Amino acid sequence: MILQSAIPSALFNLPHVFAYLVAILVAGNLMIRMKHNNRVQFLFNGAAMLALLALLMYFMASGTTATIAGLFSINPFSLYFMAIFTAGLLLVSLIALPYSRDFGDFALMASMSLAGMYMVVAANSLITLFIGLELVSIPSVFIVLLSRRSLEAAAKLFITASISIALFSFAVVMFYGATDSFTISHQAQQGPFIALAAAFFIASLGVEASAFPFNVLVPDVYEGSPAYAVAMLGGINKKLGFAALLQVLILIFIGLHSAFVIMVFLSVLTMFYGNIVALMQKNFKRMLAYSSIGQAGYMFIGMATGSAGGISATLFQIFAHMFIFIGLLAIVAWLESRNRNEVDDMIGLHQESRFMAFALTVFLLSLVGLPFTTGFVGKFLLFVSAINANLAWLALLGIINSVISIYYYARPIMAAYTGRAGAAWVKSNTAVLGVIAVCLALTILFGVYPQPLISMVNGVGAYLFAHQ
Amino acid sequence: MFPLLVLLPLVIAVAAIAAAGGRPQIRHAVRYIAILASATSLILLYFVSQGVTTIPWFTVGGYQFSITTLVTPLNMLLLFIVFFMATVILVYSSGFMDVPNEQRRFYVEMLAFETAMAAFAMSGNFVLLFVSWGFLSAFSYLLIGFWYERARANRAARQTITMILIGDLALIASIVIFWNATGSLEFTTIAASLSQHASAQAYLGALLLLVAIFTKSAQFPFQEWLSGAMEGPTPVSAFLHSSTMVKAGVFLVIILLPIFTATSLTGIILAVGIITAVVATLNAMRDLHIKKVLAYSTIQELALMMVAAAGGAVTAAVYFFLIQSFYKALLFFGAGVVMKSTDEEYFDKAAGLRSSRLAYLTTLFGILALAGFIPFSGFFSSVGIGGAFSANIPMYIVISMIGLGTSFFAFRWFLLASRDVKDRRVRYRYSTQPASMVYAMVLLAVLTLASSAAYFYIQGFIGKGFMSQLYMSKNSSLPAISLGDISGLAIVAALAVAGAVAGYLVYASKRFSARLASINTRKVDIIAHSSVAMEALYSHSARFVYELAEGAALFDLYVSDISDYIGHGTMRLGSMIRRVSVGQINPYALIFAGGIAVLLILVYVMILL
Repeated sequence: MILQSAIPSALFNLPHVFAYLVAILVAGNLMIRMKHNNRVQFLFNGAAMLALLALLMYFMASGTTATIAGLFSINPFSLYFMAIFTAGLLLVSLIALPYSRDFGDFALMASMSLAGMYMVVAANSLITLFIGLELVSIPSVFIVLLSRRSLEAAAKLFITASISIALFSFAVVMFYGATDSFTISHQAQQGPFIALAAAFFIASLGVEASAFPFNVLVPDVYEGSPAYAVAMLGGINKKLGFAALLQVLILIFIGLHSAFVIMVFLSVLTMFYGNIVALMQKNFKRMLAYSSIGQAGYMFIGMATGSAGGISATLFQIFAHMFIFIGLLAIVAWLESRNRNEVDDMIGLHQESRFMAFALTVFLLSLVGLPFTTGFVGKFLLFVSAINANLAWLALLGIINSVISIYYYARPIMAAYTGRAGAAWVKSNTAVLGVIAVCLALTILFGVYPQPLISMVNGVGAYLFAHQ
Repeated sequence: MFPLLVLLPLVIAVAAIAAAGGRPQIRHAVRYIAILASATSLILLYFVSQGVTTIPWFTVGGYQFSITTLVTPLNMLLLFIVFFMATVILVYSSGFMDVPNEQRRFYVEMLAFETAMAAFAMSGNFVLLFVSWGFLSAFSYLLIGFWYERARANRAARQTITMILIGDLALIASIVIFWNATGSLEFTTIAASLSQHASAQAYLGALLLLVAIFTKSAQFPFQEWLSGAMEGPTPVSAFLHSSTMVKAGVFLVIILLPIFTATSLTGIILAVGIITAVVATLNAMRDLHIKKVLAYSTIQELALMMVAAAGGAVTAAVYFFLIQSFYKALLFFGAGVVMKSTDEEYFDKAAGLRSSRLAYLTTLFGILALAGFIPFSGFFSSVGIGGAFSANIPMYIVISMIGLGTSFFAFRWFLLASRDVKDRRVRYRYSTQPASMVYAMVLLAVLTLASSAAYFYIQGFIGKGFMSQLYMSKNSSLPAISLGDISGLAIVAALAVAGAVAGYLVYASKRFSARLASINTRKVDIIAHSSVAMEALYSHSARFVYELAEGAALFDLYVSDISDYIGHGTMRLGSMIRRVSVGQINPYALIFAGGIAVLLILVYVMILL
């Protein structure tokens, strides 16, 4: 895309108002943080995010496309991700409100990384993408650090992020060396440097998207971090890795066959690694970490097809997994506040809270791919796209993995419905119940009636392919 | 009426029971809600209109995925069996399930299972089929593992779900292949397309579909899960064996017969059916577990239904399909009475059925039907199936021998179950059965007789309705019962009596009773070893997967040994960094570096190529 210069008279159109709102969100958070008033901070955050979400929805409905300051572009792709990230972060904030030690810190860091996410998905150039990724990963480390026990997890996350960033800069250097450009646009040029750049991009963003073998630290980080931080890392940051990878793969390297072969390999390895190792986990968060690695493997299937259908399917699955994951982590946050971290600690859940046990069941079965949930539709679309791209064997491997996954997803459900009213009943927090209800509603609603979401992701997929 | 609406009462009841609290009066009401919901569905069935109904679900790449229901007389028959048997079994359960704390869980799972089976019974395309098939698998797992404290129940549930998942995998693979081969997921379109031209691809699809059917209907070599599934509560066994789950496979064979005929796979169904029937009959003659004998008998009956359907005798298969529900549920009810009164499962102690007069008498009705005595329904189905193969002498002989064996093990089961018990308390418990259990048994006993009459109407019912040419494509009329052609009838009747006499001679003698007391329940002869051999085969396959997983977990342990420190709360950044510098983070770095190296090599290889 050609860089456009911003015209002063256009500074007050809606896309610019959107940019100001983002700035207000960060600055406002910083100011309220000084006052140490968590309630005000939450209200401000919620209002600002809702306003952003409303504006994004308006852009989507009206089909707005715009360029801000020549560096960011508002288009169907960036709008889709901005909207789900905003909604996701709002839900994560609701989990963090009762359970984080200092909500002010969390809100400030979260607002910064939200700005970073917007930069990543709306980036026009690799430099913007790079800065955006930095802006997301550094506050994320601090969010993990908010809990006293999570020093080690934070350190590991930091190391992971550093590796990712380092690889990303290698990739940018090689790309620039070969093409003299930082622009995210289709590269017809082929050559060893382009191929190397693609490999480094995939490795770097694979770290973010937790592709095998760049995901070995992920389970440690999840296990050691507080639940709301995990909800953010696995629910949102990981999806950001996918968004960045999609941009790089489809917009720049669509002509590069080897990049998609790599994606096929990554998808198979990631699926099997995640699902097989998850079988043996006892800690619930660790199991979820491996499960989300397995889910990432399914999403790679769609990307490996390199087709609009596959990309749409990946986008659908990202939506599905995001809200399932955040909903699950809301349950985990509640359990964690009572020191219940193991799968076996789920025992008796249905007697303490029938709603939570039901939600847990739906979320986990949705991850398996139970019909009438978003998880089913997402997987279905992914496998259909693989079959259409003559990768039926990849779809079959995906199905085999889904079958394997039933064994570990069934365990918490069985435990939750096992009797024994052991632990004293503790009233669950209203905010957390709300998060679970919203996630549950989205999971079932778009599972039973997926057509609106499918149309939307199809539009986004078509847009990406039309604007290489 | 719109077919899926039939499920509405069940869905509402599931939601209501699941949402209801655990107060005692609610616990009591739950059973009535469940019975009422099933009965309402049964009544609503009368208003369902026949035909194909399509509900669009979502569109992908120009292809419309929809939920299609198909209601033909055959579907109506299965729906009737499901709702009727569910109602009866729920009435029985209201007396049988006397565990107050688990009532809600039991009824929710039963009703959900029933809903899934009913949805299956009206599926008209592979989308609804897959959806309901998946739900059936899930709920069968929950129901078989209902007594989760028992290790054996958990093991049985795991074995079941593994077998069933193999079937699910085969089913989804076959769906993918059919879609590729014919571009459609609708039964009618696929059948029409395959009868025009059956490609090699479609052949593979149909073969995988058969694997799915064999797992669900417990056919060789997947049959062993069904005897393990006896660990579930008795009403669950009755439900599983009479109307749900295992019947799904047979039903699919019947309704998708055009697909199997077009791909000429009926021979495989015949062969597998005969092998299963023989093995299961032999197993049933030897087993000492009161419910497992019945389970093997079910496996054998399902096999005979498959044989009949694949041999073209669709009406005989359908008739057997109907009447087997009644007497099989009845026999399980009888077994339930024995188990509830004696708290025993093996024949060395589980006995004394005679102490409960009504239960004894009704169970006898079931046994007579199973053995094929005139005028019980089993006799007519034996005549129907035998008559279909009367031209094929070897087949006729095998089926007759199976009939003889059936009569033998039926009476063996009955005689062993009704031996006298000395214990007064056990006798007392026999005489104080809940009324709901006994009434349910009486109703079914009447039906084992009354359903004989259906022999003369079933052909008219299923042959004339909507789309009946779909499965009635072959000449599949029932042999007429007339006094002019008495030889077939006489053979069936004589075999039933001969089996009963043999059973009586062996098992009613005093000598045998003494010997039985000393039998180790684990001691089985070569024939029954087939069951042990199957188990060994399964466990070796399972072991392979398990060890794979364990190896992967070791890898996980190795790379994350430092994660042990998490949770101690003593971690400091300084020590963390020190650890990094002294090299404990090395494994990670090594993996990262290895991954990148592999990627780069991959890229270079691809550039060179």
